[in-house]
Amino acid sequence: MSEQVESLIRKEYSAGFHTNIESETLPPGLNEDVIRFISAKKNEPQWMLDWRLKAFKIWQGMEEPEWAHVKYPKIDFQSISYFSAPKSLADRPKSLDEVDPDLIETYNKLGIPLHEQEMLAGVAVDAVFDSVSVVTTFRGKLEEAGVIFCPISEAVHKYPELIKKYIGSVVPQRDNYYSALNSAVFSDGSFVYIPKGVRCPMELSTYFRINEMNTGQFERTLIIADEGSHVSYLEGCTAPQRDENQLHAAVVELVALDNAEIKYSTVQNWYPGDEQGKGGIYNFVTKRGICHTRAKISWTQVETGSAVTWKYPSCILKGDHSIGEFYSVALTNNYQQADTGTKMIHLGKHTKSTIISKGISAGKSQNAYRGLVRMGPTAEGARNYTQCDSLLIGDRCGAHTFPYIESAHPSAVVEHEATTSKVSDDQLFLCQQRGLDAEKAVSMIVNGFCREVFKQLPMEFAVEAGKLLEVSLEGSVG
Amino acid sequence: MFVSDTMLKINDLCAKVEDKEILRQLNLEVKPGEIHAIMGPNGAGKSTLGNVLSGRPGYEATAGHVEFKGQDLLDMDPEIRAREGLFLAFQYPVEIPGVSNMELLKASVDARRAHAGLEEYSAIEFMKMAREACKTVNLDQSFLKRGVNEGFSGGEKKRNEIMQMMLLEPSLCILDETDSGLDIDALQVVASGVNAMRSADRSFIVVTHYQRLLDYIVPDYVHVLANGRIVKSGDKSLALELEAKGYSWLENEAV
Amino acid sequence: MSEFQSHALVLAQQSTGLPWLNEAKQACADQWQTEKWPTRKTEAWRYTSLQSLESTLWTLPSDAALDALPDELMALDAIRVVFVNGHFSSQFSSELPASLTLFSQASDAEQQAILAKFNQVAKVEKHLFSQLNTAALGEGVFLNLRANQRLEKPVYVVHIHTGSGASDYVGSRLLLSLETSAEAVVIEHFVTLSDASPMFNAVTEVDLGENAKLKHYRISMESEQALHLGSVHAALHANSQLTGFTLATGSRLKRIDYHVRHLGSGADLDLQGIYLPKYNQRVDYHTNVEHCVPHCTTNEVFRGVISDTAKAVFNGRIHIHQDAQKTLAEMSNRNLLTSNRAEINTKPELEIYADDVKCAHGATISQLNDESLFYLVSRGISEAEARVMLSFGFVNELVENIAIDEIKEWLRPRMAKAFGQSDDVVRHLIHDESID
Ligand SMILES: Nc1ncnc2c1ncn2[C@@H]1O[C@H](COP(=O)(O)OP(=O)(O)O)[C@@H](O)[C@H]1O
Ligand SMILES: [Mg+2]
Repeated sequence: MSEQVESLIRKEYSAGFHTNIESETLPPGLNEDVIRFISAKKNEPQWMLDWRLKAFKIWQGMEEPEWAHVKYPKIDFQSISYFSAPKSLADRPKSLDEVDPDLIETYNKLGIPLHEQEMLAGVAVDAVFDSVSVVTTFRGKLEEAGVIFCPISEAVHKYPELIKKYIGSVVPQRDNYYSALNSAVFSDGSFVYIPKGVRCPMELSTYFRINEMNTGQFERTLIIADEGSHVSYLEGCTAPQRDENQLHAAVVELVALDNAEIKYSTVQNWYPGDEQGKGGIYNFVTKRGICHTRAKISWTQVETGSAVTWKYPSCILKGDHSIGEFYSVALTNNYQQADTGTKMIHLGKHTKSTIISKGISAGKSQNAYRGLVRMGPTAEGARNYTQCDSLLIGDRCGAHTFPYIESAHPSAVVEHEATTSKVSDDQLFLCQQRGLDAEKAVSMIVNGFCREVFKQLPMEFAVEAGKLLEVSLEGSVG
Repeated sequence: MFVSDTMLKINDLCAKVEDKEILRQLNLEVKPGEIHAIMGPNGAGKSTLGNVLSGRPGYEATAGHVEFKGQDLLDMDPEIRAREGLFLAFQYPVEIPGVSNMELLKASVDARRAHAGLEEYSAIEFMKMAREACKTVNLDQSFLKRGVNEGFSGGEKKRNEIMQMMLLEPSLCILDETDSGLDIDALQVVASGVNAMRSADRSFIVVTHYQRLLDYIVPDYVHVLANGRIVKSGDKSLALELEAKGYSWLENEAV
Repeated sequence: MSEFQSHALVLAQQSTGLPWLNEAKQACADQWQTEKWPTRKTEAWRYTSLQSLESTLWTLPSDAALDALPDELMALDAIRVVFVNGHFSSQFSSELPASLTLFSQASDAEQQAILAKFNQVAKVEKHLFSQLNTAALGEGVFLNLRANQRLEKPVYVVHIHTGSGASDYVGSRLLLSLETSAEAVVIEHFVTLSDASPMFNAVTEVDLGENAKLKHYRISMESEQALHLGSVHAALHANSQLTGFTLATGSRLKRIDYHVRHLGSGADLDLQGIYLPKYNQRVDYHTNVEHCVPHCTTNEVFRGVISDTAKAVFNGRIHIHQDAQKTLAEMSNRNLLTSNRAEINTKPELEIYADDVKCAHGATISQLNDESLFYLVSRGISEAEARVMLSFGFVNELVENIAIDEIKEWLRPRMAKAFGQSDDVVRHLIHDESID
């Protein structure tokens, strides 16, 4: 047992804190001791613990935001358990036969390979499937290139200087209510460092898909692309993910140093709740990247899951000639609510940003785009183009657009366009007259509507994302 | 292949749109291999006929019976009618932004073939066919990649309809004023497309206002549709007569 | 309650006229006191600070004599209704037709008619300064057109501030009620005759019956030091038509709200706005258009040119309620920044709860197009003049849409002057109009 843990136990004792350090789960509740416990469990150095405690103090002084266009019962943060180890093998289903057949059907529709299905459904497989050797091969290749790719909990020990320098540098602890909470209690997540001038030899996707399980509800990711480097990172997967934890509050920080490029793609399909709107994940995410000179950050997201989504992947375009991009498809059905968009903060000269947002609302859902484009007083010659389209399917849903556009430089050019439309009866009929059934026709039209965004996804994911929309829209046409 | 000796048999068809009676006991029989031209004044119900036959929502058959290749047509969903081989070239083809022409074509040809128990064409094979069809109707291949009818000119939309018809190889083609708004060259393109497809087991119903199309596509029969029913039928010479005299002399017969 | 809020109540105490409106006045005074004072965190005041207003103890100015009407006014064959420092001037006003009444001169029957309409269209609970306007109300104008009634001439309501009072509060109220198929043209014009810094608080309520048509022009071109808080509230019933135009040059603080509700099918709103702040001026437009029923249309176009260290805000919201199928709504906001330190914040919002609608909005921010600039310069025009011509052209497109020639002709040279300091630079713009 490490010194910290020992000292913690002593402290716990004196404070009358009775949780056994050997236990795998914490009872619900949040206080300093819980944070000490989490930190001790991860065997963290003192500075990391101090950082968490500072965030906790800040969080205590903050209020839960209410400005988003979403409604949900007030969250009782004391009723949440902030640490739980992965389920033991014994508690898990033994094979896919024991898994909810609906889930399996969805996996099949999405064309997810069998071994991935097992993994996603949490089947207690002996870890011998192909992917392990795949992982090893990947690791070798990455090491050769000098790329660091590991859990952030591991990086805290192995690369403390990088972590100390960059954690919270893009999303400060006090940035918002959930980022403060995440900073205090973050479970785990990924750390990526691409050395100078290196082009990451592969998409950090397949590997991630297999290893992302159980990163917990307060995920934290930090990606640093050093000067002139390049990386493409893919998070999430199209398969519906279930989780007992209702609240997810992740933080992702991207640092693109001079001439570096980071492409970050997300497919989010957390459990959205049932058709009546019961259950479902609350997904409150803070994602932000900073671009230095001539750097580029590109966010692409396909959001189909979660009961409530609150998410604004953003770019701070600090360096001259830097570029920010945001491509988003957000689909809501049944009783889902999404308030999502981006912020493009132009500080550097000749910075450029592009925002393409496609919102699809079906059922009784509410789908809002909320975006900020800010041209600072130093943003000479900066440019933004925003295209924000909403598609409504059915007359009980809502589609909303809340763009904030601020400019303080005359040579900055901002163009913003937004449209709202529905799948017209004439379009549907034309497809039917050519032999397609209504559901296929709608999914084709919706996919067409999203084309510009799908183009940004890595090839195999674009195909999956298309299928995902089809599956997510099921039952919305009729 | 179907064996029935009629392609389409319409008996006393009545139809309404938004509570308005448009077709009133319309009768028409089309045999395989025949070309029927339908002419008639604006608002007579020509497009309505095409819409009812293809099952467009909002166009309700209130009485009568339609047999298509021996089956009850009105009983089928619109996409089934299409898969069975009924094709409507729209008078006003709608734009579907984002969905590429190619995508729609492949999906519909696949659906039609699957329905007939045939194998799908491979992507490469199909691409070839689509390019060929483009050439025939004199559309640049870039049209395959563009959104369905998106930003097409009037003439391009019509040629696009003919291209789809060629690839779908329907048994019954209903052309609703496909010639309207076309210049002479485009008209010839459409006509030669249709003529190339003429065969003993395929029929056409050609709705037009102009006799000049019928110089290129020579019909077996010409019908006048007025006030919701066929008021006069004849051969090609009827079209010439109509051109000279207009429709008013027929008006009485319509009531 | 903030300090300013309690001070402002003095205005309510000073305004003792119109006792028959006391109930409404008192209700608004009460509400005003309980209202949470806006800060930068209040969404509706995110970009505009009220500081310049808070530092003054506002008082009601007394009546002032005027030798003649200022040249500044439009030469219109109109029913003129003139107010000087908030007081009605019979000397300079036309004889009022029966359909037009001053609140202070309303007969019992007219008082009842006013009471039935007053603050019915305006949702005062949502408009902070309409509360103050009501609480401190001393006078108002009531236009009451019966079914099919048409005013032959436009109504030209002029608000003049004169004198050097640095704390003059000038309140005004216009209540326009047009019954079925009635038609009218109304122009509101705000003028200051000195460099004093009065605060205008002007509320207009518009109630359009079925098929009624109103053209409403609101020109706010006061001195640089003036403050202006204004709002126009409109209810549109079936097939009615509101054509609105609003122009605001900058001043110390200008905040103008439009709140229009489509309440009957077939209603149509056409709203065009121009803002031209310069120096250190502020203009803040907030528009809110609600489609509550099916088959209505909205076309909203706002353009602004922001110079020097000025700052402008445009917040346009279109809200389509669940039953408002077949809505057609479009909003466009375009901005030109002509200096390094000018600022614009724009927020075009759509909130849509019906699916069978066509809605779009667009917003742009840019500076003058280099290519056009070069084109003009290459034709021998000085760069300064070319800039003025292009800026002018940018907003003049909207002026050209104005249906009444006299207003158009009055506006053009004044707008041109707003861009060019020297006559030399604007001469072509002003002369050109006589050619075409
Ligand atoms: N969707 C529709 N809604 C209302 N009326 C329609 C509709 N479609 C057709 N009609 C009416 O039906 C009549 C026949 O129209 P149509 O079949 O288009 O005539 P044609 O094609 O012969 O010119 C016309 O009076 C037309 O206005
Ligand atoms: Mg027709």
